[in-house]
Amino acid sequence: MSDIDEKDIHSFVDAVSVYFRQITGEKAEIRSAYLVEGGVAATTFDLTGYISFSGSFSGRVYFSAPRGMVRHLLLMMKEFNHAEEQLLDAVGEVANTIAGNARKHFGSDMEISVPVTVATSDGWLDTVVSPRSYVIMIKWKQYKASVVVDIQHA
Amino acid sequence: MKLLIVDDSTIIRSRIARTLSHPKLAFIQVVGMAQNGVEAISLFAQHMPELVTMDITMPKMDGVACTEKLIQIKPDCNILVISALSDKATALKTLKKGARGFLYKPFSDEVLVAAFLELVSS
Repeated sequence: MSDIDEKDIHSFVDAVSVYFRQITGEKAEIRSAYLVEGGVAATTFDLTGYISFSGSFSGRVYFSAPRGMVRHLLLMMKEFNHAEEQLLDAVGEVANTIAGNARKHFGSDMEISVPVTVATSDGWLDTVVSPRSYVIMIKWKQYKASVVVDIQHA
Repeated sequence: MKLLIVDDSTIIRSRIARTLSHPKLAFIQVVGMAQNGVEAISLFAQHMPELVTMDITMPKMDGVACTEKLIQIKPDCNILVISALSDKATALKTLKKGARGFLYKPFSDEVLVAAFLELVSS
């Protein structure tokens, strides 16, 4: 079981909501937040950005999204270069923003890394996250994405 | 006025640069873009800009250390920190190092324009 609680998870949900509202002017639907255990999978999409935590917490937070959604987000930012490296930069920046905003709840003793980005295939998240991870499913327009919170007290 | 943009994200760097096409910011000219603190110091010494936007979490040298170095070089430089680290302690730390303003990510274009105008008017 995770040693983080509902309020901790909610700080990430809030950060996701704020991100979409601020960047797109629209609300993202947070569809569910569930614990990865008992064979429940964490959904992986085309591109994933993640931030590692150190200090008072350890672990990672992942943002995984399909290319179509990332291109659409870039358009909302008036960014018309949609090369693969731009798309990866975008998922890294989303992960960074979500982690940075959530740190307000955890305190500045929680250090966050620079983003790491990966072009991911189906099931990748399940190979890297622990069974105590929480998955937050997001729906924005016709797209689905996931935020996986895999952190524990150090 | 000359502006140096410091952020490890290409998208954020180009977004900040694009915002400068706003008519109220026509007096600002981008003289360089750096993706980490080390690059920023080199470009800063080369151009001596009056304005800098500074990310915090970056590879090689973070924005807090970089802010301190830039202020040592040019104490009257106006540094606007733009970061996702939205806790008060981080903002205070950069302000103590000499930054003049702090803007939280994610931000809208309107908020960024207002932040630039406030920075230069102060």
